[in-house]
Amino acid sequence: MADLLAILTNGANGLSAHRAVAQTAAHNLQNVNTEGYSRQRVDLEAMPAEFVRTNAYAGLGVGIGGITQSRDAFIERQMPTALGAQAQHSAESESLRSVVGLDPESGSGLTATLGQFYADLRALSQNPSQPGLRAAVVGAARSLTATFNRTAEGIENARKGVDGRIQASVDEANQLAQKMASLNAQVVKARASGAEPNDLLDERRNTSDRLAELLGGQTIPDGEGNLNVALPGGFVIVSGTRAATLSTAADTTNGGHLVVQVTRVGATTPQTLATANLGGEVRGALDARDGTMLQTLQSLDTLAFEFASALNTQHQAGFALDGSAGQAFFQVGATSTGAAASLAVNPNLVNDPSLIAAAGSATTTPGDASNLFALINTERQPLASGASPSDGLASIIATFGSRTRAADARAQQEKAIMTNLQTLRESASGVSIDEEMIELTRAQRAFDAVSRVITTADEMLQTLMSLK
Amino acid sequence: MRVTDKMVFQNANDRSMRARERLERSVSDVSTGRRIQHPSDDPAGAAFVSTAKIAETRFSAIEQAVGRASDELTVAENSMREMGNVLVRGRELAVQLSSATYSGADRSASAAEIDGLFRNMLGLLNTEMGGRYVFGGFRDDAPPFDSAGTYLGDTGVRQVEIAPGVLENASLRADVAVKGVGGGVDVLQTLQDFAQALRDDDVPGIQTAIQQLEQGLNQLNQASTTAGGSLTILESAAQASRLGRDQTRVQIAGVAEVDLVEASGRLALANTALEASIAATAQSFRLTLLDRL
Repeated sequence: MADLLAILTNGANGLSAHRAVAQTAAHNLQNVNTEGYSRQRVDLEAMPAEFVRTNAYAGLGVGIGGITQSRDAFIERQMPTALGAQAQHSAESESLRSVVGLDPESGSGLTATLGQFYADLRALSQNPSQPGLRAAVVGAARSLTATFNRTAEGIENARKGVDGRIQASVDEANQLAQKMASLNAQVVKARASGAEPNDLLDERRNTSDRLAELLGGQTIPDGEGNLNVALPGGFVIVSGTRAATLSTAADTTNGGHLVVQVTRVGATTPQTLATANLGGEVRGALDARDGTMLQTLQSLDTLAFEFASALNTQHQAGFALDGSAGQAFFQVGATSTGAAASLAVNPNLVNDPSLIAAAGSATTTPGDASNLFALINTERQPLASGASPSDGLASIIATFGSRTRAADARAQQEKAIMTNLQTLRESASGVSIDEEMIELTRAQRAFDAVSRVITTADEMLQTLMSLK
Repeated sequence: MRVTDKMVFQNANDRSMRARERLERSVSDVSTGRRIQHPSDDPAGAAFVSTAKIAETRFSAIEQAVGRASDELTVAENSMREMGNVLVRGRELAVQLSSATYSGADRSASAAEIDGLFRNMLGLLNTEMGGRYVFGGFRDDAPPFDSAGTYLGDTGVRQVEIAPGVLENASLRADVAVKGVGGGVDVLQTLQDFAQALRDDDVPGIQTAIQQLEQGLNQLNQASTTAGGSLTILESAAQASRLGRDQTRVQIAGVAEVDLVEASGRLALANTALEASIAATAQSFRLTLLDRL
């Protein structure tokens, strides 16, 4: 009698176990498209057998050993680094591709306007007193300076755009760091009850993945169930249930562009994080802003400064139409800093093109073009940095292009690695509808069978009860 | 490898995106005809195009400048030739009127024709082109000769750039060719002296004029020959610049422009690849246990 009742009890446990299997399969199916969801499975265990008599143990059915996630720790450990690297190089590549103005085929670019300036000087050399030709030279010079200004501003605006991206990333990283700390607390609390909080673990992994995309770094689990986050330079921004605070500040030594700072838990003073100590999108954006973009801008400044200085020196050696000594052709500062953005044609020449110093002597005006020929020669002569203006421009274009191309290539390479890892992770942790349907059917069959066991035990009990 | 539904969809999405990206790039290549949309598309090519575009503009500018100089020098040469004709006429008259068959009255009457030749010379020497006087040297904004035949210009010789850094003379020195600076004959003074000799019935003076007109004619011929030589150089420079410009354009096109035949082939291939990707994706979505259970 007691054994038959045990069958009923064990049957009820079996029904519960198989219902849990079906419920988990249903949960998996419902989360088939949930980002970062890891497939869960019920670990069924045979219940310890009961001693019946000597040499005889009777089984007590099935029970739930636990509900675990299908995860590959080896792959997952590689994910933050891969995510950070991919995000870093993609951010650098995207930022550099946003820079326009160095297209050699643009009709209004530096190539076209530099070529036209010298072409108009050549035209003037054939009739130096002709007012229309003088006005054309001034117009071409203004067009050239405006193009230098526009190109430099374009690069500077792209750098400011990167600042906006950094600010947004830092804001998001702060929210994520706080969320990680909170999730750590929830996970530790849930584990204290003895169960594995699978869905919390998924959410925490999603959060750490996104944090890795923004800032790079590594996740470091501890024995208490926390997942700590350290930046590439080693600074820990999430430690257990506490999160440091990131912020930005204007760097006066870098034109007021943003620098990333961090304030430790309990501290009040932020400390600046060097670019090398960051990773992810923020690092890529900083590399683009303070690397290729800044170097291109500085090269452009150097070209503008040296070009204007060379032209000014030669122009001042000549004589204007009225016999007066040549003035500076361009307005340019004392150093190359900011030269491309501020370069302008001397307003006196703009107002009075007759001041173009075409003649080589005060007594040879108006038909002498010898100083114009000397000005034209600056097209071929090396500037202070060793290249002619056109070669200098070509070098800037080539350097910028090759660095952008290298960033593109690295981004593609990291994306391939990332895609491969994501595929492996998905293969280990993702949900297969076919698999879950089979699991659901399997659970249903088992449920049916256990139900039949209960029915049979009930009939046996009925039989026993009806014995007289 | 375990294949999940998400992998199937993700892979389908990735393949489709890649195929669409290739198609978009091919469409852009064919529609714009440009290979280099950003310096990173071909850094070395972009640098070459930049340098070559400036070189192309330079060749065109040199060709135009040489053309303008050539036009001016042609006008100067024609004027010199015309002045030579004037001197030939003067010499003919001098030879005729130095003969004993002419009376003093005949000679005096002929002086008016020599005065006319003198004025004709002045007109030719004050030839203007494009607002500048071609025989004034660097002083090209005012007539280089006054009515008395005094030269008001300077000794400057205009030049033109025929190749980067290479200059060629593009004007004639009227002070040398006409006024005899540097050891020649002052042609205008000779005509004036000749006219005066006719008025004075000064036969030895007329005979002197014959020799000086002959020498002046040689001076003018020499100037014309110099101008002709320079014109030949300018013509070949213009031709070289045209050739250089055209070759540079071809080189730029080779680097910066899309080969339309090849690009059209790539476009067709990209189109086919996208269609195949979509078909394969649809096929992979078709098989599922959901339809069988």
